[in-house]
Amino acid sequence: MKKVWKFLSSMPFAIGLLVALSAVCALSSLITQGQTYEWYAGAYGPRLGALILALGLDDAFHSWWFWVLTGVLCGNLLLCNLVRLRPLINRTRGFYSADGLPETQDAAPVVHRPKEVFAALSMTPRETERQGQRILFASKNGLGLWGPWVCHLGILLLVVGFSLGQALHREYVVYGVKGQTKPIGDTGYALTIDDFQVKLRADDTVEQYEAAVTVFPQGEAGRGQSARLSVNHPASLFGMKLYQNSTGWAAALTVSKEGQVLEEQILCAGEGLQVQAVPGLVVYLNAFYPDFYLRPGYGPMTLSGALNNPAYLYSIYFQDAMVGMDYWQMEEGPIKVNDYEFTFHDPESYTLLEIKKDKFAWLTLMGGILVLLGLGLCFYVQPVQLWAREQADGTWMVYGKSPKGGPLFTERLLQATEKAKES
Amino acid sequence: MLQAENTLFTLVMLLYFSAMILYFAFVALKKDPIVKVAMGLQGLGLVLHTAALVLRGLAAGRLPLTNQYEFATAFAWGLCLVSLIFMLRFTFPLLGAFSAPVTFLIIGYAAMQSKEIHNLMPALQSNWLGFHVSTAIIAYGAFGVSFVLGIIFLLRDKMKAQGFLDEHIPSREKLDIIAYRSVSLGLLFLSFTIITGAIWAERAWGSYWSWDPKETWSLVTWLVYAVYLHLRLRKGWQGKAAAIFAVAGFVCVMFTYIGVNTFLPGVHSYK
Ligand code: HEM
Repeated sequence: MKKVWKFLSSMPFAIGLLVALSAVCALSSLITQGQTYEWYAGAYGPRLGALILALGLDDAFHSWWFWVLTGVLCGNLLLCNLVRLRPLINRTRGFYSADGLPETQDAAPVVHRPKEVFAALSMTPRETERQGQRILFASKNGLGLWGPWVCHLGILLLVVGFSLGQALHREYVVYGVKGQTKPIGDTGYALTIDDFQVKLRADDTVEQYEAAVTVFPQGEAGRGQSARLSVNHPASLFGMKLYQNSTGWAAALTVSKEGQVLEEQILCAGEGLQVQAVPGLVVYLNAFYPDFYLRPGYGPMTLSGALNNPAYLYSIYFQDAMVGMDYWQMEEGPIKVNDYEFTFHDPESYTLLEIKKDKFAWLTLMGGILVLLGLGLCFYVQPVQLWAREQADGTWMVYGKSPKGGPLFTERLLQATEKAKES
Repeated sequence: MLQAENTLFTLVMLLYFSAMILYFAFVALKKDPIVKVAMGLQGLGLVLHTAALVLRGLAAGRLPLTNQYEFATAFAWGLCLVSLIFMLRFTFPLLGAFSAPVTFLIIGYAAMQSKEIHNLMPALQSNWLGFHVSTAIIAYGAFGVSFVLGIIFLLRDKMKAQGFLDEHIPSREKLDIIAYRSVSLGLLFLSFTIITGAIWAERAWGSYWSWDPKETWSLVTWLVYAVYLHLRLRKGWQGKAAAIFAVAGFVCVMFTYIGVNTFLPGVHSYK
């Protein structure tokens, strides 16, 4: 049992996990995600298609085995960091004490002016004694010893924060035009779109989508909080984060009979109106073209974003069966179905807002910052210990240790001792 | 200003090319002064390259880091910068003979891209994008250097030590640690790239990580280099095995950079 624990917290196991994770990520990115069986069967053949679905490779990053893999990685990291905490504390203590000087040092350089070696490495030594011999000792950058530990803790927090966020976050979509108020899913809050503008540049490209909204607890409009938001500038209200996600066209649809308006509703492209007076009759606004052009051989398109030649693509359903579909422009006069007349008018841009609640995003961010800190400590705060032991003839034997420095440190030390050799 | 940038860009390509030829000549003729001239040309190229990037930034009124051309030329700049720093810091001028061709290939790739300046769509208008891409340039540059060092390491084993090479190529241990230094630099900056990218994605798209193929591949790259670091800590895995990983890591970098845009769909393809 002890052996199993030891293996689970070991580095070889960690290496295996990291290799497995990268392989799985690479493979999954090559398979288009979120498709149906028909799609996979078409792309890879029926057998492979079925296998992809059976293994959950169609949604690999949310599959049970991906959760297991991340869970095991977290366990491994946690164990590894727990097991190594005590030894690390002891090592840090030892790092600041001169006791680590080995009894014998082969081929250690001998100098006359040891303090110069310390100075060359930007260190200030203190003096102690061992077996009657004077010893100069200094150490620096002990914090670097903590680099891997901090980095691993960071990864752990990051993965835990991300996984909790994935599992528990809530996500809603609200879309509408200026002036509309809509509920935000089951949150108990509602949202009014106070303003929405698509800012265009002179060359007709979009500069920014800007919305202003007010969010309030349903039934308590007086307690509303307002904010402006645009792409790259989300807003936070009542613990929810609001993002300007996308936009589209909307228009008003008026239903009338014998010159009398029966009802009117704003439809975003894709939405339909169930005509109250005729149960089963639905009129859809399928698409809107502000600058309509029917390109021969290609179909409808819009030449620009400006309202130069507005056209509506609509369809009419009666009891779930389509009874008509066509383009329509104002000059044609109302669309007629029996005695009823339908008119689209006042096209405007609607905004689609995404609303999210992720209570664990901060944990992920903390983890990320710790990873950066840990890596910085690992790579750029290199622990160095340096000793000089006085010998019987008055010269000093220099001995340095820098576990990360390798031959580069040895080179540097030799350079530093070279100058201090002369008496 | 764009005209000036264009001229500078052509000049930079010429300088990098000449530096590369001189590095080769240095290896062929074994004459030390040649490499000094090569490094001088590379340095001059780097200065003019910086000027070209600044000019383009001024012309566009933003950081010039938002399309294939801009990123490719900046990538070459990063590789040139990091390799020059490593050559000077570790007194290893022969590194240039290996890094210069890679730099030249990348700037050649840049030359094939469209140089037009487009207005940015709203999602790309963010300071986080600036951090995201500039850290990526250093990370990619550093990984480029570790790739080259890995190759030198593997070749060194193949070549019988001759006087010239022995003098100009560091020992196996030193090569290994220099490669480790460049991987460290790369990994630290890649972590910055991924984290600033996540912050930007959250603000622009409402989700800080969505397993978009480019995100996934940057994670794969990050994991491969993490494996490299852990392997190096194990006895018997330093040296050759680590060098192979350093090379493989850069293959992932290149796939993340070019392969993903070419073969896999996603928000990063700028299409
Ligand atoms: C993506 C995941 C990981 C990353 C990015 C990472 C990063 C690092 C880094 C940067 C180092 C220092 C290497 C050096 O200084 O050369 C390190 C060392 C180490 N890592 Fe990891 N690590 C990861 C996962 C793990 C896991 C899951 C374990 C579990 C056992 C682990 C165990 C170790 C050990 C034992 C060391 C040696 C520490 C030392 O020398 O003091 N690592 N890791």
